Amino acid sequence: MLFGIHIRKYYKKYAVLFILGILFLIFVDWIQLYIPEFTGKIVDLVNAGVDEESKKTILEYCLWILLIAFGMFVGRMTWRFCILTAARKTDRDLRHEMFLKAEKLSLSYYHDNKVGTIMAWFTNDLETIEEAMGFGMTMLVDATFLLVFTLIKMINYSLALTLFSLVPIIFIIIWGALVEKYMTIKWDQRQQSFDDIYDFAQENFTGIRVIKAFVKENKEILAFSKVAKKNVSKEISFVKTSITFDVLIEIVIALVVASLLGFGGWFVYAFVTNDPVVLMGVEIILTPGELVTFIGLFDTLIWPLIALGQIVSMRARAGASLNRVSKYLDTPEDIKDDPDAIRLTDCKGKITFNNFTFTYPGDKDASLKEVTLTIEPGESVGVVGRIGCGKSTLVNSLLHLYNVDKDAIKIDDVDLMDINIHSLRDNVAIVPQDNFLFSDTVENNINFAHQDHGLEEAINAAKFSDVHDNIVEFTNGYQTVTGERGTTLSGGQKQRISLARAYAKNAPILILDDSVSAVDLKTEEKILHNLKEYRKGKTTIVVASRVSTVSHLDKIIVMQEGRVEAFDTPANLAKTSPTYQKMVFLQKLEKEVEGGDTPGKRYYEAKRGS
Amino acid sequence: MRLKGDHKIPNRELVKHLYRFIRPELFKFLLAMLLIVINVGLDIVCPLLITRHTETLTSLTTSSGQEALLAIISFAVGFFVLSVFNQVFLYAETMLLQRTGQKIIYNLRMKVFTHIENMSQNQFTEMPVGSLVTRVASYTSSMSELFTNTLVQMLRNILTVLGVLGIMIYLSPILTAFLSIIIVVLFVVSMIFNNYISKAFTKERGYLSDLNTFLSENLGGMKITQIFNQEKRKEEQFNEKNNAYYRSRIKLMIGFGIYRPFVSFLYFGAIALTFYVGLEINLTSAMIVGFYLYLSRFFNPIQNLADQLNSLQRAKTASERLFNLLDVKPQVLDKPTARDIDHFEGKIEFKNVWFAYHNEEWILKNVSFVIDPKTTVAFVGPTGSGKTTILSLIVRNYEIQKGQILIDDIDIKDITITSLRRAIGQMLQDVFLFSGTIKTNICLHDESFTDEDILEASEYVNADKFINKLPNKFEEQVIERGENFSQGQRQLLSFARTVLHKPQILILDEATANIDTETEVLIQESLEKMKSIGTMLVVAHRLSTIQKCDQIFVLLDGEIIEKGTHQELLKHRNFYYKLYQLQFEETIH
Repeated sequence: MLFGIHIRKYYKKYAVLFILGILFLIFVDWIQLYIPEFTGKIVDLVNAGVDEESKKTILEYCLWILLIAFGMFVGRMTWRFCILTAARKTDRDLRHEMFLKAEKLSLSYYHDNKVGTIMAWFTNDLETIEEAMGFGMTMLVDATFLLVFTLIKMINYSLALTLFSLVPIIFIIIWGALVEKYMTIKWDQRQQSFDDIYDFAQENFTGIRVIKAFVKENKEILAFSKVAKKNVSKEISFVKTSITFDVLIEIVIALVVASLLGFGGWFVYAFVTNDPVVLMGVEIILTPGELVTFIGLFDTLIWPLIALGQIVSMRARAGASLNRVSKYLDTPEDIKDDPDAIRLTDCKGKITFNNFTFTYPGDKDASLKEVTLTIEPGESVGVVGRIGCGKSTLVNSLLHLYNVDKDAIKIDDVDLMDINIHSLRDNVAIVPQDNFLFSDTVENNINFAHQDHGLEEAINAAKFSDVHDNIVEFTNGYQTVTGERGTTLSGGQKQRISLARAYAKNAPILILDDSVSAVDLKTEEKILHNLKEYRKGKTTIVVASRVSTVSHLDKIIVMQEGRVEAFDTPANLAKTSPTYQKMVFLQKLEKEVEGGDTPGKRYYEAKRGS
Repeated sequence: MRLKGDHKIPNRELVKHLYRFIRPELFKFLLAMLLIVINVGLDIVCPLLITRHTETLTSLTTSSGQEALLAIISFAVGFFVLSVFNQVFLYAETMLLQRTGQKIIYNLRMKVFTHIENMSQNQFTEMPVGSLVTRVASYTSSMSELFTNTLVQMLRNILTVLGVLGIMIYLSPILTAFLSIIIVVLFVVSMIFNNYISKAFTKERGYLSDLNTFLSENLGGMKITQIFNQEKRKEEQFNEKNNAYYRSRIKLMIGFGIYRPFVSFLYFGAIALTFYVGLEINLTSAMIVGFYLYLSRFFNPIQNLADQLNSLQRAKTASERLFNLLDVKPQVLDKPTARDIDHFEGKIEFKNVWFAYHNEEWILKNVSFVIDPKTTVAFVGPTGSGKTTILSLIVRNYEIQKGQILIDDIDIKDITITSLRRAIGQMLQDVFLFSGTIKTNICLHDESFTDEDILEASEYVNADKFINKLPNKFEEQVIERGENFSQGQRQLLSFARTVLHKPQILILDEATANIDTETEVLIQESLEKMKSIGTMLVVAHRLSTIQKCDQIFVLLDGEIIEKGTHQELLKHRNFYYKLYQLQFEETIH
């Protein structure tokens, strides 16, 4: 049994199933004990010599056995359906709860916790919890009741024999707990050695270039053989431990059964020959049939005894898992709406930064320092500067992915921190740097923000980002599946689909975070042209590494080390900002080099031709 | 995960393939089987003893003498002795099989690993690392299940079923005939159930992997979901997958929930039938008890057999994948006439070399050049001009389509790959570090290098400075892919790695990333030193590196368009001059 705030509500929610299941389980445990009893009686009757009357009784007993068996059949089905369904439902609901939590956690949480770690809670830990809730609970109830009922019956038959088998019973319980504990350790070691093989191969194949470059293939094979050998020895040691335990317990059980056969036989012999054995002043009365029943009962007892030991250990594992999951579910959410947050309606797209300074959580130095500027509604603004100067941080801050100071950022003169997050993000579309696409069709990826959009809208957006021609060339066109499990797209294609996705949102504010870096110059020009035409009157911010990308926009922000160095029209910047001037010059050069159409090449070709 | 070229292999071929691995261990296998036969025999005899015991008990009368008691006691002792023997045999057989099976799997695993290790560089780009790893680790494990468990358990179960059947016929053919009706029902039900369950199981696994893929993708892309306000929709998609998985598990549970109780119902039905029929045909009570005991020994093996058929199927798939992989031949191979060369002067020549990764998309077009021994040459040019390709062709990572590459006037195809690569120290662009320590990353687990050698090499390339500042110095842990070290530090480690292996020719693909000034100075110093080792080819991104070179080759679109020293090329004011201004003057972006 598991306890804790996050699991208690599911016991309550599925109480009917759990209770019904447990009742049926107890019912089955109770009636199944009648079978050895009837068997014993039949044996005795047959033994006493069969006449018409005893034949009738035996037939009646046989029918009883069948009836009980049928009751057990129904009972077993029912408890399985009830308890296991409840456990599976809990598993499903808990996973759902965890996913909802995942959707509410902020970017900084994902920054601190690797996806792999979170995935482990979703997979391994949930599985352990569910196992303890379904199988574990069943085992606990089953074993306990079976144990008690069986013991009661055994005592009814023969107190002496029960006392006699009590010593091994206690031994088996302790044994079960020890074995489970020890086997878990051995199992972990075995698993670890398997993981080592996995990791070794993974790393070796990933770094194969180095291995080949240094001709270390043979050394690596040798090193791998060590890892593989260790796995072999751990496998063998695991099996050896497990079989040793099994064999020993089987021998103990055989010893008990043999003793029952021997001593029980002696008691029966003594009883039949009218010279009953007297133990502690009590005459022992035992028929052959009763002995058969008793042995049958003892056989029934073995499983619950071993199970009880295992449950202890299973509970400990599940408790640890539940702790991890609970801790995750209890994580405070740092990005959330104020109770009286303002809904941003009919957004004009005015953006004001007022002495905005920003430091990433856990960082020492500020990434943005004292940024003050105003972007008017409908303006198109470029952001340029060196890598790491804070361009991305500046534009991403508009999405409220991190909390910022009060009144530092305003949209349409409303403080960003006061705006309802959902409505904010409805009004701001972004093309992020990493171009993450989901494993879905191209159409669905483009229409990500609008489920009601169809193919037509997707095509429009794709044309805007100049990726339509590429998409129709795919075998499945707009139904091509992208992402991890789909077709591999080039960086440029991904970037343009990501751009189409943001454009399709048709938001008052559109942000391109270095979103044309992987496309060639011609495509870039086309996209910039479209931007000018289709985003007329709407605020658009373009972060770029190439100055040519932004030189036709209304204004440009030049950034340096977290500060705004200049903010003006390109024409003015060309006159006033030395940084901007230098960038323009270098850009021209790069165009020449990349296009390959340079005086150098022409010169060389002329020389070769001559 | 499938690989390109995976295909079905006929069963007969598979068995033949497998037999090659079993053959060296055949004797042990046969021994284990013998033990199993004994084991099954004892398993069957034990209940017989209890039957005899009951028989003796029930035939007791008031006048029975001491010999009856003696018989009872001796049956009990006999039962115990036989049980102990049985367990000892079981232990011996299990361990023998385990050792034998593990040995076979070890050999198979080594064979697969060695095979992968010897494939050519270009083949790795076509095969996802994940699916190779699965083959080395998981598929071999499925096979181990086959050798240590499935095969022998099948044998055991078949023997048990036949043995018990034999005994039952011996005890009472008529009763056995009646019981066989139930046995047939059991068998048919088990087959149907197994069919259902293996399908349901495959589905469940499919839904689970679907769900987990969805989760891992969406946890990774949560930012996109959040900024596009699509939490609700993603939740719906999640629910769909979560419910599909749930439903598949419920189906599986219903399957088991009906089958298991039904089997036990059949079992008790068989018991009732035994009593009833036994009575009708006047069997002794001992006989009836005997049947009662044998019945349970009969039900388990039949249930298990059905399960083992599934396991056999899994092993078949696994072995198919493994043998598919073993059939892939390495692409770059030594010619039979290739020679080992111990010493290179270091003259490198490209004669009209044409090269394409994919057919006819030429990366290098008719490239020719000669590099004199002990000189240093820089390759410069825009991205995609073929600089890095030239370096990887010299070490024969790929075969060229046309032309010749010669070292000391010997075609590299006439040199063994091993001796060629041993002579050439490669320093690659993104330095790959293995998890382990600094030391193991420099010596690459080669124990023939002493600690002094490693220290010396590190000092030579200036890597000792930062290593000595680490808390554990050379024993400092390197985490996966060396993410705890900066680009510059990694570069220095790769220098140390190379120098330690005493190359005669050096190739360096310089890192493009920004490196802090302090480390940059160290790198430049050690580059200067390394020039004296032998011929050095550099794909250069730094002016300071280029200026030190004896010659510069300027590449554009797979052709060399300019050659000369830095000063000469600057004077020409051609392509190199532009490139120089662009790449090496203090850039802003």
